[in-house]
Amino acid sequence: MIRLLLALLLLAAPAAAQAPRPATPPLTAALSTDTVEITTGFTGASVLVYGATDRLIGAPDGDEILIVMWGPPLPMVVRRKVNLLGFWMNGPSAAFPEVPGFYAIAGTHPPWELLPEDERRAGRLGLEVLPLRATGSQQPAFRAALLDLKQGDRHWLENLPVEVSGGRLFSARIAFPDTVQTGEYRTEVLLVRDRRVVARQELFLRVQRVGSAARIASVARQLPLVYGVSCILLAAAAGWLGSILFRRS
Amino acid sequence: MQVYLPIAEMSVDALWLLGIGFGVGWLSGLFGVGGGFLLTPVLILIGIPSPVAVASGANQTLGASVSGLIAQWRRDNVDARMGLVLLTGGFVGSALGVQLFALLRKLGQVDLAVALFYVVVLGTVGLLMVRESVRSIWRRRRGHAPVRLHEHTWLHGLPFKLRFRKSRLYISVLPPLMVGFGIGILSAVMGVGGGFMLVPAMIYLLGMPTSVVIGTSLFQVVFVAANVTLLQAWQVGSVDIVLTLLLLAGGVAGAQFGAAMGTRLRGEETRALLGMLVLTVAAGLFWQLVRRPDSLYVVGPLP
Repeated sequence: MIRLLLALLLLAAPAAAQAPRPATPPLTAALSTDTVEITTGFTGASVLVYGATDRLIGAPDGDEILIVMWGPPLPMVVRRKVNLLGFWMNGPSAAFPEVPGFYAIAGTHPPWELLPEDERRAGRLGLEVLPLRATGSQQPAFRAALLDLKQGDRHWLENLPVEVSGGRLFSARIAFPDTVQTGEYRTEVLLVRDRRVVARQELFLRVQRVGSAARIASVARQLPLVYGVSCILLAAAAGWLGSILFRRS
Repeated sequence: MQVYLPIAEMSVDALWLLGIGFGVGWLSGLFGVGGGFLLTPVLILIGIPSPVAVASGANQTLGASVSGLIAQWRRDNVDARMGLVLLTGGFVGSALGVQLFALLRKLGQVDLAVALFYVVVLGTVGLLMVRESVRSIWRRRRGHAPVRLHEHTWLHGLPFKLRFRKSRLYISVLPPLMVGFGIGILSAVMGVGGGFMLVPAMIYLLGMPTSVVIGTSLFQVVFVAANVTLLQAWQVGSVDIVLTLLLLAGGVAGAQFGAAMGTRLRGEETRALLGMLVLTVAAGLFWQLVRRPDSLYVVGPLP
C-alpha cells in the first residue's frame, strides 16, 4: 500500500512541478456586510474590513495595509462668523462642491509613513492630500475649518488602526455615525511594499434606509403635497386623540 | 431609547423628545400659545437641523394646539368670528412672510435675521406683558377698583364695524385684520404659530377679555401652523413626521394638564408667568447672538 502511494507520488511529482503553480493572490479582502440598513432604531453602524495577505504584514520590509473608504460626494459650504456691532453673523464663505460626505482611512501605519506624497495625492490617501477645491473665498483657513468640523462630527476619520493577527490576517473596523448619508460607498484595500502599492482590491457597500424610515422619506420626496397634508391630518388626529385620552375636566 | 428620524437623517433619544413635548404642551394648554417659540430653539439646541426644527415645530404646534383648542372649545372660550377675521389677515401675512424669508435666504443671513426677530419680538412682548400684569396684580392687592375693560383709542373710530358677541366688542374689522396680517408675517419668518404674540395683541390692542383670548388665539394658531406645515413640506421638504409625532405624544398629555391648571390661575398671574417665560427665551437667544461662538466656522450642506 505504502509502496503504491510512493510510486504514485513519484509519478505525480514531476507533473506538479511542470504545471503552473496556482498563483496565491498577494491580497484578498472582504467586507463584513454589503449593505448597511438604516431602520427606525438606527444609531449608527460599523463595518469590518478584513482580509489576508500572501506575505507577512508588518515585518521589517514586509507588507503594509491601507484601507480607505469613500461615501458619495456631498457639496458643503463653510461660513465664517464675523462680529458686527457686537452681534455674531455669517460672514465670508467658501463652497466645496466636490467633497466626500464620508471618508475613512485606516492603516498598519499612517499613510505618510508608507507612501511618497505624489502617490498619496493620486490615490487620495489621507485627509491632508484630499483635493478640496473651493469656490468663493480661497483662504486656507476655510479648508482647515472644513477638515476640523467634518472630523468633529465623525464623517471624516483618519488614523484608524488595522489589527493584524497571525502575521497575515488583517481587519479594521469603520464606524458610521447615525447621521451617515445613504448611497454607494467604495472601499479600497491597498497592499504596500517598498513604498509602492503592489496590489489593490475594491469593495462596495450600500447604505440605505429600510422599513418605515425608507417609506416616509420616499413619500416626502416624491409626493410632497400628499406628505404635507398627511402630516397636518396626523398631527391634528394625534392632538384630538390626546384630548380624549387625557381629558381631565 | 434611540429612534431614527427619517427626514432629519439622525437618531435621537425618544424619551428626550417625549419630555420636551410634554413641557411645551403643558405651556400650550396653560397659556394658549402653541409653544413654537420655545420648541424651535430647543430642537435646534439638541442638534436637529434648523429647517427640520422649524418645520416640525410648526407641525407639532398644530397638533398641540388642536388638543388645546378642543379643550377650550368645550369650555366655550372661542370667539370663532374673531378667529376667522384674524385668520384672513394671517393667511395674507404668512404668504408675504414666505417671500421675505426667501429674500433673506438669498442674502445668506437667515440665521441672524431669525434670531434678531426672535430677540426683538420676544423681548418687547415679554416686557409689555410683565409690566402690565405686575401693575394689575399690584392694583388688585391695593384694593383699587378694576380699570375699564379697555381704553378707547383711534382704533375704535375705524369703519367696517362688526359685532363680536363672545368678545363683547363692537369694533372695526380692520384692527384684527392688521393684527392677523402682522403675526402672519412674523410667524412665517420665525417658524412659529404666533400665539405668544397674538395673546397680548388681542388683550392690549383689541381689548378682548382674557377668557376668550386663549381659545381664540389657539383657533388662529391651528390654521396658521397648518399653512406653514403644508408650505414647508411642499417647498422645502423638511417636515419630519416621526419627530412631530413623538413631540406630540408628550405634548397632548401636557396640554390637557396645562389647560386644567390654567382655569385655576388668575388672568394676571398667567400673563405675568408667560411674560417672564418669553423674556427668558429672548435673553437666552440674545446671549447666543452676542457671545463669542465656540467655533468661528460653521459647515453646512451647499444650498
